[in-house]
Amino acid sequence: MFPSAFFFLDRRLSLTSSQPHTRARGVQLLSEVLHECYGNLTEREVLIAFYENRLKDHYIITPPVLQGLRALTKCTVLPPGSAVSMLRSLFQDVHVQVRLDSVAASRFYLKIYPKKFLKGLGADFVFGFVQSMDGERDPRNLLLAFQIAKNIIHRGYDLGKFTEELFEVTSCYFPIDFTPPANDPHGITKEELIEALRAVLSGTPKFAEFLLPLIIEKLDSDVQSAKLDSLQTLTACLSQYEHKDVAEFLEGLWTSLRREVFQTSSERIESAGLAALTTLTSCLSRSVLNSDSEDSLSTFLDLVLKDCKHHLCEPDLKLVWPSAKLLQAACSASNRASHIITAAVMPSLIDQYSSRTQCSHRRTLLEVVVRFIQSVKTSQSSENEESVFSAFRESLCSMVFSALSETNSSLQITATSMLTSLAQQTGLLLDSDIELAVDHLTRLLLTEEDDRVSLAVVECAGALAALHPAAFITKLIPRLKTEIVASEQYSHHAVRQRCLSALAAVSTQPSIVRESTPVLLEVLSSAHTGNLVGFSVEEVVLACRSLQRIAEQVQDTEETGQCFHEVIIPRLLSLALQAALQGLSGFLSGCFHVVRLAGQTASRAVSLFLDGDVSFLPDNSFPSHIQLLKQGDSWSQSQMVCLLMGCVCSLPRSVEVPQIDQLLSQLEEMSCTCSHPLSYTSAAKCFAGLVNKRSQGDSLDSLIQRTTKRVCSELDSTSSPVRTQAFTLMIWVAKALLLRYHPLSTALTDKLFSLLGDADLGAMAADGFSLLMSDSADVLNRGCHADVRIMYRQRFFSENSAKLVQGFNAAPQEKKPNYLKALSNIVNKLPKQETVLLLSLLLEALLCPDQGVQLSTLSCLEPVLINPPPALIQQLEALVSRLLALICSASHGYVRIASLRCIHALSRFPEHEILPFRARVLRALARPLDDKKRLVRSEAVQARGEWFLLGSPGGR
Amino acid sequence: LVSSGGLKMSGGTRLENANPVIFQRSGERLLTASEEDEDVHDPIDDREIFDILSINDPEHPLSLEELNVVEQVRVKVNDAESTVGVEFTPTIPHCSMATLIGLSIKVKLLRSLPDRFKIDVHITPGTHASEEAVNKQLADKERVAAALENSSLLEVVNQCLSTRNI
Amino acid sequence: MKEALSLVQRLSAHPDSRCWFVSWSPSGTLLASCGGDKAIRIWGREGDSWICKSVLEDGHQRTVRKVAWSPCGNYLASASFDATTCIWKKKNDDFESLTVLEGHENEVKCVAWAPSGNLLATCSRDKSVWVWEVDEEDEYECVTVVNSHTQDVKHVVWHPNQELLASASYDNNICIYREEDDDWECRATLQGHTSTVWSLSFDATGQRLASCSDDRTVKIWKEYPSEAGQGDLSWKCVCTLSGYHGRTVYDVAWCRLTGALATASGDDAVRVFKEDESSDPDQPVFSLAAQVTKAHSQDVNCVAWNPKEAGLLASCCDNGEIAIWRFQEED
Repeated sequence: MFPSAFFFLDRRLSLTSSQPHTRARGVQLLSEVLHECYGNLTEREVLIAFYENRLKDHYIITPPVLQGLRALTKCTVLPPGSAVSMLRSLFQDVHVQVRLDSVAASRFYLKIYPKKFLKGLGADFVFGFVQSMDGERDPRNLLLAFQIAKNIIHRGYDLGKFTEELFEVTSCYFPIDFTPPANDPHGITKEELIEALRAVLSGTPKFAEFLLPLIIEKLDSDVQSAKLDSLQTLTACLSQYEHKDVAEFLEGLWTSLRREVFQTSSERIESAGLAALTTLTSCLSRSVLNSDSEDSLSTFLDLVLKDCKHHLCEPDLKLVWPSAKLLQAACSASNRASHIITAAVMPSLIDQYSSRTQCSHRRTLLEVVVRFIQSVKTSQSSENEESVFSAFRESLCSMVFSALSETNSSLQITATSMLTSLAQQTGLLLDSDIELAVDHLTRLLLTEEDDRVSLAVVECAGALAALHPAAFITKLIPRLKTEIVASEQYSHHAVRQRCLSALAAVSTQPSIVRESTPVLLEVLSSAHTGNLVGFSVEEVVLACRSLQRIAEQVQDTEETGQCFHEVIIPRLLSLALQAALQGLSGFLSGCFHVVRLAGQTASRAVSLFLDGDVSFLPDNSFPSHIQLLKQGDSWSQSQMVCLLMGCVCSLPRSVEVPQIDQLLSQLEEMSCTCSHPLSYTSAAKCFAGLVNKRSQGDSLDSLIQRTTKRVCSELDSTSSPVRTQAFTLMIWVAKALLLRYHPLSTALTDKLFSLLGDADLGAMAADGFSLLMSDSADVLNRGCHADVRIMYRQRFFSENSAKLVQGFNAAPQEKKPNYLKALSNIVNKLPKQETVLLLSLLLEALLCPDQGVQLSTLSCLEPVLINPPPALIQQLEALVSRLLALICSASHGYVRIASLRCIHALSRFPEHEILPFRARVLRALARPLDDKKRLVRSEAVQARGEWFLLGSPGGR
Repeated sequence: LVSSGGLKMSGGTRLENANPVIFQRSGERLLTASEEDEDVHDPIDDREIFDILSINDPEHPLSLEELNVVEQVRVKVNDAESTVGVEFTPTIPHCSMATLIGLSIKVKLLRSLPDRFKIDVHITPGTHASEEAVNKQLADKERVAAALENSSLLEVVNQCLSTRNI
Repeated sequence: MKEALSLVQRLSAHPDSRCWFVSWSPSGTLLASCGGDKAIRIWGREGDSWICKSVLEDGHQRTVRKVAWSPCGNYLASASFDATTCIWKKKNDDFESLTVLEGHENEVKCVAWAPSGNLLATCSRDKSVWVWEVDEEDEYECVTVVNSHTQDVKHVVWHPNQELLASASYDNNICIYREEDDDWECRATLQGHTSTVWSLSFDATGQRLASCSDDRTVKIWKEYPSEAGQGDLSWKCVCTLSGYHGRTVYDVAWCRLTGALATASGDDAVRVFKEDESSDPDQPVFSLAAQVTKAHSQDVNCVAWNPKEAGLLASCCDNGEIAIWRFQEED
């Protein structure tokens, strides 16, 4: 297309002009042309030579040159040798800064190197690359260079004789010791560099012979981060290596890893060391055994055992744990490793345990054994294989049962976790072992007074029951039942409580649930028919909670579902109704949680409440035509409405609630007129729960408008006796609508804002915002299938924050705290970035002389400071000054304390932002150290301590 | 303070007291009504100083109190006269970290107390082989100041005082 | 007749840091201060008050522990925890760094010019005292390193009119040195203090030396003709001031104009003692003439008498403050 394009262009584009800018513009144009027509280029050699030459030109010309070169790389065929020559020019001539400042350049790098013409270049290319990156200092270039090196390795270029060179030029940066400058515009972090370099170094086993000695050397470093990096790099490369790659370094690696764990100063290093050991062991485990080669795994494990095993016999000494951890790390690596190690250590641990007499020693040994069992658990993949511990089953069982019989509580607790671990080893324990275990657990449940032990026993029972239900059905449950219900004797309250929790804990399998739930129901019915004396309200609640827990944890089968819907729920409702009719209290709260699990009972519940239909209840001896929703005689009946809420508000939206209009109207009436707080609140919540799920449309809108009108008129009449009731209904309906983004919610929330200035309801209105913004536990949450749109809080906030600010500014001084309280309620529930809009208000409020305002503002600020939005950082000066002023001058101690907490929180801001304030803050915090109130001083001590550590070596 | 090159933390010293006796931590200080009364002045007392000193021992990942390095009975404060005396008991009589523990205690108190206080930190009499030498070093504010300008020593002290783990 | 110390002015000299030391220029018109902020400040009188004339920064990497004026008043030497001593030259109203003396292994604790201005002494935690010779071209050469102390050396001071040097140490002793065959040797070791000796001061004649210590006492030492024959010097303690100081005495200053003895103490007080003129020169009696018990809110580190204006005293404190006092008879 352009026979002599280049010469033509030269004239037209002033490529040889004496002005660099003119030349640059010319090259730019040329490059753009090339991008359009690279397919047809005939004068590639000339163009390449031209561009390579231009790389030596003024730096401002470089970006368009790179663009042009990139265009040339799109050519399907490049002249031989031109790739290498281009690369060389690029490395040699392009100025470091320009090389990467230009986005074009970086894309260019990654695009052309590996893909296009480097295949087959092999060693030459590697050599060029090695030469070019030698001595590089700029982190941006390094990051890129590491990525390229990784590509070179991963795409399988022949590294040839340059393997060592490539390793040298990259590994000289290991471990990365780089701290990005404050305000670094490029944002390259140390972690990015570490990751990139690690990917290179661990990329190929060819590096093993160089890398492993280097890692061993770097592990000697005193610098913690270097150690950590070395260990993590080791782990990364070992997962790629085969046993022959590491064979000659085993001893050195082991010495280093052992040292890091034995003498560790930080948990992170210890766990990195252990992870490396696990990877190393599993690397060795991958070796295929054949007769003529040495078994490197057992050689290595011999080394580990030689250094660690004898420490296990010295439970007095500090080295027990590091040794055990090392052995367990190796043990968890593979099945073969776990066989070798357990065979070597278990006999002596078991021996030790029986010969030691001191409790603390036995406990240490027991814990070590537990960890061994657990470490194997995690590695067992094949289900059918016999457990590693089969050979020791008998000794381990006698060990655990003897420990369970001890009087020392920590021994007992450790023993329960050992029992759990043993039971989880597939096929290890015999049925007789399990039965014996259940006997022990039962005994402990009934006799052990120590709460921690009971808790551990209950937990263990739960874990065992899931695996071996039979023994629990035949032994534990009958025994517990006797203890709880049948026993004529006085049974201790605490024992019953433990039995009830244990019943819930073991009921994870349907077969157990079948046996355990009748016991619980029996407790409930006995409780209020008065058959048995001694059941307290707490026990009734606990029995209900246990039922609830069972319903939540049991596998959802048809069998259990039916059991709940057909038997348990009606039974509970019936009991609750009986209690209500008899005027008994304390039963309801327990029932509620179980009832709400049972949507299928809803229609029966509605007919019970609306029509007084009691026919589905068992033991039916109720009067007909009870009117539970009518403002009746007693609150013990009216509060039954909370059970109705449990039944109808947890239904999926698709399930239709029968007689809904009538139900809504009665609920509204009840919530606006009833005088009993639990009753009218439950009615309001039930109403709201139903409104939230009603389908969109005129009927819903007119319902809402009617309710809104009624509520507002009650609220507007300051003499109304039911203002609180109206307020309660308003807030719940507002929440119901807000959650589903219903446009009519605004009328109600605006009313709420206006009430912030109300003399009687102002404080309640401020608290109401907390209700609006937080998840409600029993209704209007996703668990009850409520219509909850995502980000409804943010939406509410963004639509209303301006109203809040206006209201605050316009409010008289004595009303301002209500606004700030409302603000704090909203802010506490919002993602932090949302509060940015209010920062200026918060900062303003810090200047307000009113203590209440100061306190609520500070409590608003503190959570924001935990994760500060950028806008806050721009206002640090104002924030720091105001907080320091409050710390020194606030007359109330709680304000000083809250300000100190905020200043404390500021110490966790990015260091470069707050370092300039350090001296000032330290000086100001000297004063509260001598505050007259101890609580203030103690906050000051903590805050000042943190600020001292800031920017100081070893501090942070 | 010990040597300009900072403290040596070789494997040998780390293991010299592998099994410290651990004492029960005293419970949280109970809040009294007067502490919440803005009009009452709470004097700085022994317990308050003691609570300030719940810091890490460089050798053991427990607080100094749990190791009985500092006991409340060995803390004496006189708020009116602005003096504080603390005696600490190194974990074993030859503990090479005694100076460092003492220095950490001193620094913690310097950072936490009003500057009117005169702070004396000593080893509990009869509990350490180099008791006098360590006491004299800790009392020499010039040496303490120079030690805290040594960044590796300051790093160790700060780590002892840091409430966060590495 | 009764004397009193009255406050002239307080200066916040080294904010957020310690002020370790103050030193008057030989003409008494300038006061140099140094501290934990690594800076040296020069203060001068303007009208009725003292103001900061210049700040010498970037000379040291760590605390500047002491400063000393050359007898001609044109040079200032500063000793620092960074193991170096800086020599500053006065140029008009400003100072420029002339040279840095290196050699001590660690913190340099003190520096002092000999009355001739040709010799300079430094001491350090490395237990040594170095004597440096100054030539006409402002070149400094170390002529001697003496290791007579067994612990760090806290202070060095020259005799007012002889080439005689005294040093105080953490080893509780004082050493007196004299040049012998081109070499400086310790000729006397003054033992008596039971803890670190922090500072020393000769009286106007140089016949007596005051020392102060962590043992909370001040001792007056007097030179006697040698008993042991040639060479060795004989100094005896003729007076011990005890019971006055509540904590360590960090500094002592003997006024060359009035003979008053001022002390700086860790009990926050500045005290002035006067010698009873009638007392036996071999058993002098010093009595407390004036004290300010809360002269500063923290430890007082240094006291210095103005060499020209009798009774003008400067002191400095751990909180970074300098105070200027006037010691005079009360009306």
